[in-house]
Order: sequence, then structure tokens, then C-alpha cells
Amino acid sequence: MPSLTVPPGAPPILQSLTVPPGAPPILQSLAVTLERMLVRILVLLYLAGAPALAQTLCQPNASNGYRVRISIKTALGNQAYEWNENEMFLFRATMAFAMRRYYKTETYNVDNIIVCNQTRRVSFWFVVISPENPTMLIPKADVEKAVSMSRHRINNAFLLTDRTLEFLGIYPTLAEPVNPDTPPWLIVFGVVIGAVFAGIIALLVSSLLQKRRKEKGMMEDGQDEEDRQMKGVENGINLDGIYNRGFTDDDRFTKL
Amino acid sequence: MGKDAARAEWDNPMQFVLACVSYAVGLGNVWRFPYLCQMHGGGGFLIPYMLMLVLLGVPLFYMELAIGQKMRLGSIGAWRAISPYLGGVGMASVVTSMYLCLYYNVINAWSFWYLFHSFQSVLPWAECPVNSNLTGPVEECERATPTQYFFYRETLDISGSIEENGGIHMGQALCLLLAWIIVYLFIVKGVKSTGKVVYFTATFPYLVLIIYLIRGVTLHGAINGVKYMFTPKMEQLAKPTTWINAATQIFFSLGLGFGSLIAFASYNQYNNNFEKQAIVVSMVNSSTSIFASIVTFSIYGFKATFNYESCLERVRLLLLNTFDLAEDTISLENVNHWIAELNRTHPEQFASLGGRLETCDLEAELDTAVEGTGLAFIVYSEAIKNMPVSQLWSVLYFIMLLLLGMGSMLGNVIAVITPLSDLKFISHYMSTKTLNGLVCLFCLLLGLGFTTRSGNYWFTMFNDYGATFSLLFIVLIEVITVCYIYGIKRFEKDVEDMLGHRLNWYWKIMLAGVSPILLIALFIFYIVNYIQGGTPTYQAWNKELGKSVVTEYPPYAQAFIGLLLASSVCCIPLTALYTYCKKRNLASGKRERTVSTVSA
Repeated sequence: MPSLTVPPGAPPILQSLTVPPGAPPILQSLAVTLERMLVRILVLLYLAGAPALAQTLCQPNASNGYRVRISIKTALGNQAYEWNENEMFLFRATMAFAMRRYYKTETYNVDNIIVCNQTRRVSFWFVVISPENPTMLIPKADVEKAVSMSRHRINNAFLLTDRTLEFLGIYPTLAEPVNPDTPPWLIVFGVVIGAVFAGIIALLVSSLLQKRRKEKGMMEDGQDEEDRQMKGVENGINLDGIYNRGFTDDDRFTKL
Repeated sequence: MGKDAARAEWDNPMQFVLACVSYAVGLGNVWRFPYLCQMHGGGGFLIPYMLMLVLLGVPLFYMELAIGQKMRLGSIGAWRAISPYLGGVGMASVVTSMYLCLYYNVINAWSFWYLFHSFQSVLPWAECPVNSNLTGPVEECERATPTQYFFYRETLDISGSIEENGGIHMGQALCLLLAWIIVYLFIVKGVKSTGKVVYFTATFPYLVLIIYLIRGVTLHGAINGVKYMFTPKMEQLAKPTTWINAATQIFFSLGLGFGSLIAFASYNQYNNNFEKQAIVVSMVNSSTSIFASIVTFSIYGFKATFNYESCLERVRLLLLNTFDLAEDTISLENVNHWIAELNRTHPEQFASLGGRLETCDLEAELDTAVEGTGLAFIVYSEAIKNMPVSQLWSVLYFIMLLLLGMGSMLGNVIAVITPLSDLKFISHYMSTKTLNGLVCLFCLLLGLGFTTRSGNYWFTMFNDYGATFSLLFIVLIEVITVCYIYGIKRFEKDVEDMLGHRLNWYWKIMLAGVSPILLIALFIFYIVNYIQGGTPTYQAWNKELGKSVVTEYPPYAQAFIGLLLASSVCCIPLTALYTYCKKRNLASGKRERTVSTVSA
């Protein structure tokens, strides 16, 4: 005989179907079949309704949803893979991973990421529902923070970059600029100016050495040079052309 | 004084030719000639250019070399020897060369700056730097391009107008110091050191140009640029501006009137065959201009094609994203086809795109003609950053710019030093080394003014007004002096004395007839243009808009322009007056002395 007791967790409709124990057997079997049908219908409704319920949660321009745009061919060219249901599954799994990482819990699952409105472009909307309460959506700000935190991992899962896997509305944080202690140009500058100073010093040293050699060699001719130069200045007239040294000698001899 | 016997000389005539080539082949060949070629009808521009070379360039070049070699003195002494009243021509040359020295080395400082910054894994002008909260690029860089931002903000730290001064940019000051030290090293021993340096500065740029030519023509899209340049637009030849620009380009490209050629030639042997050398140097200079413009245009073509294809890519993405089509439906080739298609099938959605849809035009990209520092430091560096192994090309390019600039700088500084060292009272008190050092130090200290925040505006002022008008006047007086005051007959005899054969009819007709007429025409054109132009203006960088805006010079800057022009031009009449007064006093003084010698 089928049990006439209604299980404790059953919905109220079923509970109201309890048949009094003294009822005739036809009524009892009718109640049982009705009960079974109702249970099946409710289960079916629940199974069908959950995604329908979910679908109403996920809509384009949903207040807590984000749009994702993926450009595989731009990123990978010849080695582009096809976007299919498996890739979508990977996306949902990666998003669940991102939510787990952000909240530091292990309750998030693939079912908590709902995707809708997929286009040929490969763009779609997604929302995240809370694992405790399937009707509650995770707020936009939290989703954004979760995505930003794991952006690098999400990108790498798909071999894409910030530009080719876009979350419209979430701006990628740019990398910290590397600031070296000495700017590199200063190093090159230092090298070049060091070489130049070395050249100057070499020049000074070589000219000093040359001067000393000259002084040693030309002690005797020094007197004549000086006289000649002084005479040229003392004349005072603007001299054009070649100065006639023979004339200078005459001056010296004829001076009295 | 036994100055002649002790006067330094080039080790061999080759050094002299290379020095002239190094001086004449400068930055103008790389950044001004391609621009003019593009503005005035591509291949057709070569006709007025070659004509002006033959009518104006070569004869004047010949004349300056002849004067220098004959007088064996710098410009002041040489012109004083030709005609005592016109010694002012030499002074005017020295003053103009001094202005050129002051600002020209700043270009070398910039080349050094860019060269040193090329040794990084990512060229600093390739990307915009991020702003302080790491959300995006710096706004000024977003509105302009990264190369413009690097030039105007990081290299120059430019202020908004010429009135807003600022501090000295330390990096620039250091690079300027380095540039002047190197110039000093090159000229410290006079022609002995310069003669060795020009072997390198004259030949290495050609090596780089050849490498760049090979790299340039193999770039994607280079052929667009070269085709664009060489398609002659003959209707441009009907405009007088074309001919005037051709004449001006020949004139300034050869470096006439600065006194550098006279100074170089003064260190020649007396019987050096300068006639052949004049023709050779002029031809080399012009061919280099044409060669450099092929390189420039292949790079232009690459840059224009790159920008055009980037524009097409952006439009493609915009269409894909707006209409949610699969990625491979629109490719770069059929973007335009799809635009028409989508406009037809989804008109409302298409209209919602509005202003975001750009029109991509290859011709418009090629049409953006730029000259001067804008070409060298902005356009070229933008093209280089897109080449593979961009650091190598960047280093090569800026080394080439440096060598071209240094070679011209040598001529400029020698044009100032040679006449000064010929002056008796200076050479009596100090040696050549000290004089060279003092001139370099003086130019360095004044040149630091160009490294301030408004320095680039002063630089542009000097570039536009410091040498252009005065040079025309100087060379005009030079030609008239040599042909009519000194006399073409005496000049002929001098040349015969040096070369051994008489002046050809070509030289005589050009020097005495055609060149003066052309110069007078140029001169009148400049004056008319200047008067018609109204208030002189300059391009000021506006950081809010991210581009240059045309601004008028303030009154004190205009007065300064007038001072620049007047200071060199006035030397000529003032010196003539001074010599006249001195000769009158001397004449009255001589009468007394004649009496005394008779009595003795």
C-alpha cells in the first residue's frame, strides 16, 4: 500500500492532499496518483523554471550584469580556436574561480554564472547569482572587483589580452611604470662624456709634451722670432699681403 | 708678420673638399628639401632646383672659394683687402655666423637627447606614459600623439607661449654642454684637427643614408610615398613661389654668405684647383638632397600606409562591435564595401555611429607635409617606432643627424674663429686654443637660453629671422663688390694667377649678370613678403588641445626680430662710414708726416 504520509519538505499543496485514513480505497489510489503527478509536474516545472527564472535574471543591460566581448581571431590570427559551448563552459568556470578567489569561499560553481544573448561577434552578457540564494544577483561592484583581481588569470585561460577579452565597463588597471633609479639615458650620457673628457685630457697631455720638446729644440732661434714679431706690431700700418722680412733687417741695421 | 708662412693648411685637397661637403650637406638636405619637393609638385621641382643651382649656386660658391683662397684670410680680413670700405661685409658674415652658432648646436643637443633615449627596450616615444592613478595615459599625450608628447613635453618641457619663461631643462643643458665640448675638440687645433674629423663626418652620413635607403624601400607601403613624391605636378611650376623657394633652398643649402667657405678656402694652397672642387661640392650637395628625399619619402609612405591601415582597423572594429558581426566577415580590404552595405541595410543603427566613424584616406596621410625639426624629431621618430628592431634604427638615424649637424657646426664655428684669429690684437694676446675655447664657452652660455621652457620659441625666431634676410643682403653686396667695385677684370686676373687659366665665359656671365639679378629679385620678394605678411607669428604648443596654435609675437619679441636683422645688416654701412672717417683723419695726419720724413 502506498504511503499516505506526505514527506515533511513537500510543498503545501501536497500536504493538503492528505486523505483521511478511513477513506475508500479508490479515493486513496486516486490521491496517490494525483500526488505522484503533482510531484512530477512540480519537479518538471522546477527544472524548467529554474533556467527560466535565471533567464529573467540575465538580460542585456541588466543592472548587475556585464557584457563580454571576445576577439579571438584578432588576437591569435591563424591559431584562433573556435568559440563553442566548451569554451563557454570554460568561461563560466573561470568566472566561478574568480568569484571564489575574491570571496575566499568554495561555494561558487559553474551554475552560478549565467550567460545570455550570445552573438556571432562573440559577445554575451553574464550575471553572477549567489550560491545561497539563486534569486539574488551579486552586485556589479563586487563582480568588477573579482574580475579585476583575477583578470590576468582569466586572460591567460583564453590566451587573450585585456584588449581582446573585454569586459565592457571594467577598465584594466595599467601596469606600474618601471622607474629605474638612474634613468638609462643618463648612463649613456655618462659614458659618452667620460670618453670626451678622456679625449680632452689626452689632448692636453700631448700638447704639453709637444711644447716641452719644442722648447728644448728651439732655444737658439727664440730671440730672432721675438724681434721679428715685435717689429711687425710696432710698424702700426695695416699690412696687406706678404710681409717683406728683408725690409725688417734693413731697419735694424740702419738704426742709429 | 710672417703670418702667411705660419698659416695652417689642409693636409691635402681632399680634406678641403670633404670639409666643404660636410658643411654644405647638413640638416637642410634631410628636412627641408623633401618638404619643398612635396609642396611644389614632386619630381617637377627638380627643374627649378637644377636651374637655380646652375645660375645661382655654383657661381656664388666659386666666387667665395676664390676670395678665400686668394686673400688667405677670414671673411673680415678678406673683404677689407678687397675694398676697405666694405670690410663690413665680413663683419656682417661673422655676426650672422655667430647667431647661427648660438642656436644650431641646440639641434645637436636634441639629437644627443634622442640618441641617449634610444637605448631602452621600449622607445619612450612609442607609448604614452600612464598617469598618476594608473587609469590611463596622461591626458596631454592622449590628445596629441606619443611622439609629439615626447618632443614637446619630455624633451623641451615647452611652455604655452614665448612670454612664459621657465627654468632650464637640465637634460637639455647637459646635452648642449656635451655638444659644445665635442665641437671644441674638433676645432681645438684648427685645421689640423678639423681636417681629420671631416673624413668621418662627411662620409659616415652617406653610409647611414644607404642603409636607410635599403631599409626604407623594403618597408611595407614605402612605394606609395616614393610614387607620390616623384609624380610631377607640372602646374606648380607656373607659380613664382616654386622658383623662389628653389633659389632660396640652393642658396642656404650651400651655406653662402656665412664666411665659412671663405674661411675654409683661406687654408688652401695658393694654386689649389678650386674650380673643379666648387662644381664637385655643389653637385654632391644637390645629389645628396635628392637621395635624402627618396629616403624620406619611403619613410613617409611607410608611415602613411601604417596610419591608414590602423585607421581601417579601427573602423573595422567599430563596425564589428556595433553590428555584432562575426570577426572574419569584415577584413581590411572590404571595409569600405561593408560601410556602404551596412548603411543600406541598417540605416538607423548606422546613423547612431555618428562622428565615431572615421574616413581613412591614404592621400590625406601622404599630404601631411612637415619640415624642419617637426619632420626630423616627430615624423621620423614616429615612423621608426613602428619598424622592427626600432632601437637600432633609432640609434643609426640620430647618429646620422648628429654627424650632419656637427659637420655644419664645424663650418659655422670656423667662420667665426678664423676672422677673429686673423685680427692682430686678438692673436697677440691669446693662442688659437684659448680663442677657440672662449668662443665655444661664450656660445654655450648664451645657448643655454635656448634650453629654457620657452627656448624653442626663441630657437624658431632665430631660425626664421636670424640668417635668412641678412644673408641675401650680404651675398648681394658681395657679388656687386667683386664684380663691379673690385672689378671683374681684377678678379679674372687673380683667378688666372691661382689656377693658371682664365675665367670661362660661363663664370663671367653668371657672376656679373645673372646672379646679381636673381639675388635682387629674391631680395625684393623677401621684403614684399615680409611687409605683406603682417605681424610675424609662431606656432605655440597648447597643452589643453594637444596641438600647435598660431600666435602672434609680443611687441618685445618683434623688436628683437628687428634687432636680429638690423644688427648684421647695419655692419656694412657702419663700417663703410667708419673707414671713411678713419681714412679722412689718416689723410690729414699723413700730410704732417710727409713733411717730417722729407726734413729727416
